Amino acid sequence: MAERRIQAESGLNRKTMKKNTSKVKSCKGKIDYGFLAVCVTLIVIGLLMVFSASFPSAYYYQNKNGYFYIQRQTIWAVAGAIAMAFTINFPYKAYKKFAKIILIVSGILLLLVLIAGKEINGAKRWLGVGSMTIQPSETAKLGLIIFFAYLVEKDGKNIGKFKPLIKYAGILVVFMGLMMLQPHFSVCIIIGLTSVVMLIAGGAKIRYFAMALIPAIPAGIALVIYEPYRLARVLTFLHPFEDTQGAGWQVIQSLYAIGSGGLFGVGFGNSRQKYMYVPEPQNDFIFSIVCEELGLIGASAILLLFGILIFRGMKIAINAPDTFSSMLVTGIISLVAVQVVLNIAVVSSSIPTTGIPLPFFSYGGSALFFLMASMGIVLNVSRYSKKKEL
Amino acid sequence: MKEQSPKRKLRIRIFIMCAVFSAFFALLFLRLAYIQLIDGPKLQKLALEQQTRDSAVASKRGTIYDRNGKVLAKSSSVYTVTANPNEIRKAKKDVNEIAEKLSDALGMDDEKIEELLKREVNHVVIKRKIEEEESNKVRALELPGIILQEDAKRYYPYGNFASHVIGFTGDDNQGLGGIEMVYDEELKGVPGRVVALKNALDSDMPFKEETHVDPEDGINVVLTLDETVQHFAEKHLETAYLEEKTLQGASAIVMDVDTGEILAMTTKPDFDLNNPFELIDEAEKERISAIADDKERVAELSNALQSMWRNKAVVDSYEPGSCFKIVTACMALEEGVINENSTYYCPGYKQVESHRIHCAKREGHGMQNLADAVKNSCNPAFIEIGMSVGNDTFRKYYEAFGFLDVTGFDIPGEANGVFYAKDNFNIVELATASFGQGPKVTPLQMITAVSAVANGGKLMKPYLVKELVDDNGNVISATEPTIVRQVISESTSEKMCSMLENVVANGGGSNAYVKGFRVAGKTGTSEKIPRGSQKYIASFIGFAPANDPKVCCLVMLDEPSNGEYYGGRIAAPVVGRILEDTLNYLNVEPQYTEQERQSLDIFVPDTKGLSQANAIKNLTSEGLKYTVVGSGETVINQMPKGGSMVPGGSVVVLYTEDVATRKVIVPDVTNMSVSQARAKLAESRLNINISGVTGGSNSSTPNISVKQSIMPGVTVEEGTIVEVEFRYLNMD
Repeated sequence: MAERRIQAESGLNRKTMKKNTSKVKSCKGKIDYGFLAVCVTLIVIGLLMVFSASFPSAYYYQNKNGYFYIQRQTIWAVAGAIAMAFTINFPYKAYKKFAKIILIVSGILLLLVLIAGKEINGAKRWLGVGSMTIQPSETAKLGLIIFFAYLVEKDGKNIGKFKPLIKYAGILVVFMGLMMLQPHFSVCIIIGLTSVVMLIAGGAKIRYFAMALIPAIPAGIALVIYEPYRLARVLTFLHPFEDTQGAGWQVIQSLYAIGSGGLFGVGFGNSRQKYMYVPEPQNDFIFSIVCEELGLIGASAILLLFGILIFRGMKIAINAPDTFSSMLVTGIISLVAVQVVLNIAVVSSSIPTTGIPLPFFSYGGSALFFLMASMGIVLNVSRYSKKKEL
Repeated sequence: MKEQSPKRKLRIRIFIMCAVFSAFFALLFLRLAYIQLIDGPKLQKLALEQQTRDSAVASKRGTIYDRNGKVLAKSSSVYTVTANPNEIRKAKKDVNEIAEKLSDALGMDDEKIEELLKREVNHVVIKRKIEEEESNKVRALELPGIILQEDAKRYYPYGNFASHVIGFTGDDNQGLGGIEMVYDEELKGVPGRVVALKNALDSDMPFKEETHVDPEDGINVVLTLDETVQHFAEKHLETAYLEEKTLQGASAIVMDVDTGEILAMTTKPDFDLNNPFELIDEAEKERISAIADDKERVAELSNALQSMWRNKAVVDSYEPGSCFKIVTACMALEEGVINENSTYYCPGYKQVESHRIHCAKREGHGMQNLADAVKNSCNPAFIEIGMSVGNDTFRKYYEAFGFLDVTGFDIPGEANGVFYAKDNFNIVELATASFGQGPKVTPLQMITAVSAVANGGKLMKPYLVKELVDDNGNVISATEPTIVRQVISESTSEKMCSMLENVVANGGGSNAYVKGFRVAGKTGTSEKIPRGSQKYIASFIGFAPANDPKVCCLVMLDEPSNGEYYGGRIAAPVVGRILEDTLNYLNVEPQYTEQERQSLDIFVPDTKGLSQANAIKNLTSEGLKYTVVGSGETVINQMPKGGSMVPGGSVVVLYTEDVATRKVIVPDVTNMSVSQARAKLAESRLNINISGVTGGSNSSTPNISVKQSIMPGVTVEEGTIVEVEFRYLNMD
């Protein structure tokens, strides 16, 4: 019985696919220049902020070469631009074709990093030679999104049932497990939340996720108990000013930076908190420096840009020619959105501290590279938009 | 549901997701707005505190001058050596080597320096207040993490001089006593600031950003003290303090009676202002350093220092004894209850209710008028005078003379006078208070009151600071003499002056007599409580010239223990010497009586190289006698030498040949009267020079020689001057 039903559904899927394919061909056109403009603006502002925020740490830790980080970030941005130019023109359908392979390669990379990865600060997260390194977590994010988009399209209406969700959960558990071994807790949260957004958007029933929370709660408690540094982070978030020198330092310094900005900010380049008060100001906490230098006005403008990016991105998803492309764009955009929300929440001490970079802003070459490539994918999908029909 | 295509469903769900994200964005925006706008100022302040290094730039402390512009206290630049041990650690330098180099340059123990440099802090002080020379040595070493900070050091050019008045400063140049403390605000100026941005590593910033606020230098303080007068007071008090083995210290004050300016104020023992934390008393120092318990030792040391720093003249009150009779007589004269013709009979005691109060002279003074009663310092007479004034009026005048208030003087910790509560002030208390027993006053209150008696009745507010001036000499503020009130009339004042002159000329104050200067004054001796303790305070208060008083001087010796304790014997000579030097220095024209003129010392003329005849003519014209040794024509030597001072009629030995000088042996001339001593020395062909109190006084009590400048038995040249000091054996 069950088998037959699945066959029937897949048949239906095939039919809709055919229909969609025909539409794609007919609608291929211009990319969404608005979305591109927002992307470029964010990339440029991001680079400027990396320059400003990274100058002191580059000066102090890279042999007084204040340009150390921005040089590297710019090289990656150029590489990212090339990747973006490629993905803009590379037909998204190919990803569907290679979805399984991409997922497997991502998984292998995650395994490889555990064996041959570079260990930095007690975590094995980087693969590569010299300074040219990539984080397999980045490829895994994109790989999962492509594969889940593929699966959601394949599952079609069945996604509303419980059973198909087990597949997603299984894949997620494997990926998250590998990431936890690095360990890379924060990226687990990101892919977890991104997946949930994709599945709900794709038609999964919300109550199943609510049910999934029931085992998640004791699991979370166990995690906190067995890994005390996480407990410390949670406590820090609750009372940052009780331990100004220890765990609370980062959060307090971040709050000092944000608070110092006021409405108009101290001006671009004028942050004082970046002089090693905020640890690694060019990384996860870069937004606190943005707030300090550009004030509430600047920070809101950047939030607005992210908002526009998300809205325009979601519009591309809605107008996407097929379920796969729609889900693909939804996944990429929600990946960005989840990171933005979590990062700013951490920086403003609204949730416990966890290392989530801010897309377009935080220093980190491979992240920027894959982000720009992803934006290219979204733009590629926008070419096939059936906007005119709406 | 069924007609809804999956596509449409997907759109709706994506839209919902957008809404959810938007909600999160809105929340984050609110959160940021809250942090930046509401918590912003508070966070910004906290952030600034950690981001900036705020260092003070010392302002130059003002100079303290005496009234003639002599520097009494001055600041100069020194350096404080500090280090940043964390920076040294970061620079990975050899702490050992740095410590060794520093210890060479600073003359400090290198282990101590090493210990400091190994601390895990950003700031340690290695040595405070090093001189320019030492600082140059340190600078030349160019050691990493070692910082020289400019600082100021206070110099007191005269050391122990006026130490209780001037006061001193602490490590941070804050005034800790005397004028340094009272005028700290004015003297210290406003320190400047350098606010520099710093990073969290406490290393150099890639771009230096500093804000400078220039310091404002302190204001200079000009005291009313006269360095010379202060010097006289210090010298003479010190001598008496040591000679009389004074156990509880001694004080002297010299005041300008017309203005209330303090010309000199000294307390013994004093201490070195350049080293104020060093105990002056060696025995005490040893005792304290021997205490094993740290806490106890520190407490004891602190107590000992506090008592050493006490300005006795201002912060300690004492029973003035007979000196107070001046005040009692004034109130009675002013109220008109007595006059110069009042008479008093002294049988040697006075019965007051059940108490028999004795006079110092047990056999009694007999019948005496007011002037004699003052001269004799007769207790029974003053009990009568006090009673004629009455309790309420007595209290009124006690207050009017300023004994119940602080004078408002520029020294911290001034004491109030102590007086009976209204209910406790009965007839017996009135009786004893009339001759100065019972109420307690400070030496400053006493001299202020007596200056009022001397200046025509105006109670002046005593003061120590003449003016405040800036570095360009502009006067910022000047103290004008302040009349607190007219306490007694001019005529009462005049009467008192002449009666008090009589005390010195003919009575118990004769040891304060100064030829030509008409000193007026009153002795005081009070037994400390408990009575019968045999511990006394000897004091004398005097002013001169009696017909036009210029300066008033008070000397008090607390617990003299060398046998003598009467104020008239041990305090009066000190006042006499201080007044003599001071009046001479102030160019007050002496007014000699005929008798005084005759007994004036004569300058011996220099006759070397003159013919014998001319030499003799010169000597005789000055009223000197001579003997000639040898048969030459010209004088080749003489004894005493030209320029020496001798009394008229002294013999000068003239040598006209190059022969061996004639030698004589000095006889013992102590415990003799002036004429006895003169005769005895003349017998040995020696000359006398009389010091201390000399002829001219008509004192009924005898004066005897107490000291001679050349010991008996010493062989000297014929004609040598032997200085002999005389003292009246007065009692109160």
